[in-house]
Amino acid sequence: MDTVFKGEHLLPGQIGQFFIVLSFGAALLSCISYYFATTEDAGKLDSVWKKLGRIGFFINAASILGIGSCLFFLIYKHYFEYHYSWAYTSRSLPYYYIISAFWNGQEGGFLLWLFWQAFLGVILIFRAKSWEGPVMTVVALSQVMLATMILGVEILGQRIGSSPFLLLRQSMEAPIFSNPNYLEFIKDGQGMVPSLQNYWMIIHPPTLFLGFASMVVPFAYAIAGLWQKKYKEWIQPAIPYALFACMILGTGVVMGSFWAYESLNFGGFWAWDPVENASIFPWITLVAAVHVLVVYKNTGHSYFTATFLVLISFVLVWYSSFLNRSGILGDTSVHSFTDLGMFWQLVIGIMLFLVLSVVLLVRRWKELPITKKDEETYSREFWMFVGAVFLGLSCFHLLVVTSVPVWNAIFHTKMAPPSDIKNHYNVIQSSFVFVITLLTGFTQFLKYKKTDVTRFFITTGIYLFFAALVTALIVYASGVYKLNIVFVLVMWGSVYSVIANAKVLADAFKGKFKLAGSAVAHIGFGLLMVGALISAGTSTVISINNTGEGFSQDFAKEQNPRENITVYRNQPQKMGDYMVTYIGDSISSPNHFFKINYKKVDASGKVTEEFTLKPKVQVNKGQLASSPDTRHYLLHDMYTHITMTNAITATEGGSESADAAHDADNDDKNYDAPVAHDVAPGDTIKYRDGYIVLKALNKEAKVQNIPLTDSDVAIGADLEIVSNGKKYSARPVYMIKNGNVFDFARKVDDAGLKLRFSKVIPETKKVQIIVFQQPESKKKFVVMKAIQFPYINFFWAGTIIMVIGFFLSILRRNKELKTV
Amino acid sequence: MKKSSIFGLVVIAIAIAVIISVYSNSSTYGSFGDATKTNSELHIVGHLNKSKELFYDATKDANYFSFYMKDNKGEERKVIFTGTKPEDFERSEQLVLTGAMVGNEFHASKILMKCPSKYTQDKIEVTEVKAKQASI
Repeated sequence: MDTVFKGEHLLPGQIGQFFIVLSFGAALLSCISYYFATTEDAGKLDSVWKKLGRIGFFINAASILGIGSCLFFLIYKHYFEYHYSWAYTSRSLPYYYIISAFWNGQEGGFLLWLFWQAFLGVILIFRAKSWEGPVMTVVALSQVMLATMILGVEILGQRIGSSPFLLLRQSMEAPIFSNPNYLEFIKDGQGMVPSLQNYWMIIHPPTLFLGFASMVVPFAYAIAGLWQKKYKEWIQPAIPYALFACMILGTGVVMGSFWAYESLNFGGFWAWDPVENASIFPWITLVAAVHVLVVYKNTGHSYFTATFLVLISFVLVWYSSFLNRSGILGDTSVHSFTDLGMFWQLVIGIMLFLVLSVVLLVRRWKELPITKKDEETYSREFWMFVGAVFLGLSCFHLLVVTSVPVWNAIFHTKMAPPSDIKNHYNVIQSSFVFVITLLTGFTQFLKYKKTDVTRFFITTGIYLFFAALVTALIVYASGVYKLNIVFVLVMWGSVYSVIANAKVLADAFKGKFKLAGSAVAHIGFGLLMVGALISAGTSTVISINNTGEGFSQDFAKEQNPRENITVYRNQPQKMGDYMVTYIGDSISSPNHFFKINYKKVDASGKVTEEFTLKPKVQVNKGQLASSPDTRHYLLHDMYTHITMTNAITATEGGSESADAAHDADNDDKNYDAPVAHDVAPGDTIKYRDGYIVLKALNKEAKVQNIPLTDSDVAIGADLEIVSNGKKYSARPVYMIKNGNVFDFARKVDDAGLKLRFSKVIPETKKVQIIVFQQPESKKKFVVMKAIQFPYINFFWAGTIIMVIGFFLSILRRNKELKTV
Repeated sequence: MKKSSIFGLVVIAIAIAVIISVYSNSSTYGSFGDATKTNSELHIVGHLNKSKELFYDATKDANYFSFYMKDNKGEERKVIFTGTKPEDFERSEQLVLTGAMVGNEFHASKILMKCPSKYTQDKIEVTEVKAKQASI
């Protein structure tokens, strides 16, 4: 082990590792100091413990910046002796993706989470005032737990965490590492997975992790409230933070779904993948929590529900992190996070916060301000409570199904998730959404404490009826009525929610501006559901292909329609209302773009609509990965992706044309049997895809690098080729040099042709042209899938409106905080 | 009875209904032998027989892909997938199929494959392909 390795840059890694240990130590110091500041120095003006806690936390924040800087330096400098930069970057990676390389690995994700949590902690130090001690104890504790995840230190033979500064030679065993010059052989890194090379990957992970990180704040307040027995006081300051967490996490999740829609090829914006589900568990429970927090603040009801939901949200953040990072989802998820050996460490993370919550709740149970009196039936607080419970149930269902591998691991069963899992989720979740959307509508018309019942029933009835009319119209026009009745109900609920909340918003403009936030957020959610329902429910695959030969009778009968269509280069193909043509390629490594032209032609033959999409296939490490391209319209999207092609090779870079061009004998095998035609200038040769005209014979033909003497002859045949309505030209050459006859064939790759000028026949004044045409199978083609997504813009617009609603609510609750 | 207790009971009833529906909907991991005995879809784990033919020819039918898979009990069947051949299929180490037997052939509606990454031995990549489009 005493080998001295050459060329390694160990210093930045050592500094980084030092910062990691420092951040861990500082967080621990901060946590302990804040604990004593709360227990020993409570109420003291200049508590030493508190000062120490602050110093610890600032050092922690600073060292996290230090870790980040070191890691950035390694990636930026291409120090491939470090596993992290080797595994996720390469020299050819564009500089703006270096930022996303930063959080490509799991360690980077933890780092991002640490960073945001430190950021929020610093804000809390300045803003939390009397809450600083207990709240920061919890935040610092979470910071300690997270720091262990990137510690990468061995204690008692057990490695704790995984450090981003691990050296390549430490991370894997290979004979190459016994060579002191091994770095000379590692010229480049692995590069980033192509599908991550997308601008959304620069912005989506930071947003998502800010959302996860901000979950700690309401949790810390709840714990602080229980711990300090300030059962009522914690609620009000926690509400704006909870709203903030909901807003950011919601935005982050939808950004992820937009990324999936834009650059992954599963054909949609939501696939109920376990990783997606896991990211919305805490969102659902915290949204529910926000509602009951407001209920408690206004009426004193639902205390336990509010506390429970806030606590469980943060535990679910850890649970979702466990699902994603422990490798337990291996059999059910497409996301490829693998176990970094931190399975039990992640379990400890969950247990720490779960046990802390449970112990505090149990110990304080008798003192909790739980009302013995029931809520009034016609009161806002009762139905908001019901809504929160239904949100909780919706999350419960998601959790139960997503965790199937966990149940298997615990109970040693061999359950598999439902085989038609999407339908399962869609139907059950829609039932919950139906109830929830109705509640978001009519609850707005109820007042806290007590409401005038008759008037409430009349208005609700009118709105529900009106919504039913609108729904009938939408459902009929969009075709949603063909789906399961549950989806029609959801549509009704969503439309009702939008209309009812629009009324509330209108009133808000008349003076009750306080209510604007919730109205806007609910309208946003309603629109989001409308968009999701129509676009996912009635999206149509337009690349229907019934040309397959059918390999067995059963097969053809059962599996209709077939959703992939083969399109040959320059050969227009009818697809739905469109004529599609694969018109060419453009390559900018590692991206290979396929130009697919869409044309809509009306009855009179006029082109009414034309556009070209460029779906791409990326070549990376010998693997192909395809990304769709989408034409966006106001009311629908046209989505296209390549599922297969023969126009690309895993070793792209010209070798393909090089080996095809020479070796004439072999080359001829790429074509059908040649056909010879004797023609005079002006004659036409017909072939499968069109015709060829011999325009003229040109006696001044030249062939590169072959000088001609006076006795030599070179004649070029000027050919005009019309293939599938497109014109090309070619000039094959016939040559007599030093008494020998040569001919130089010309290829028209776009038309799949090779043309030879093989003979001059003086007697008939004709020449012989040999036509080679490629069989269908050698011609370049793409197999593609095209889907039309109607009204998907409602989904995105709804999200944006919902975020605005959250934002307005934050402003309102923040204002309340100051006035109290 | 108090209103909150009634509501509590309703919630518990829904929770139980959820668990039952998940349990009854949940499929099982099985073998080809199990698949011949049932009409319902199930999940089969196995590996690709690389010595037998993988058939996919886009010029004939872009939506027909067939191969032979051995399940974990060693039984081998021809598998047909309505769709294109997934990238790097030959390199797969393990396959999880979802589908049902039709005659002697297994018709898969979903293939989940695990590939060893060419360059990183320390990582497993997982990809999934589905025959049908997402429908709500």
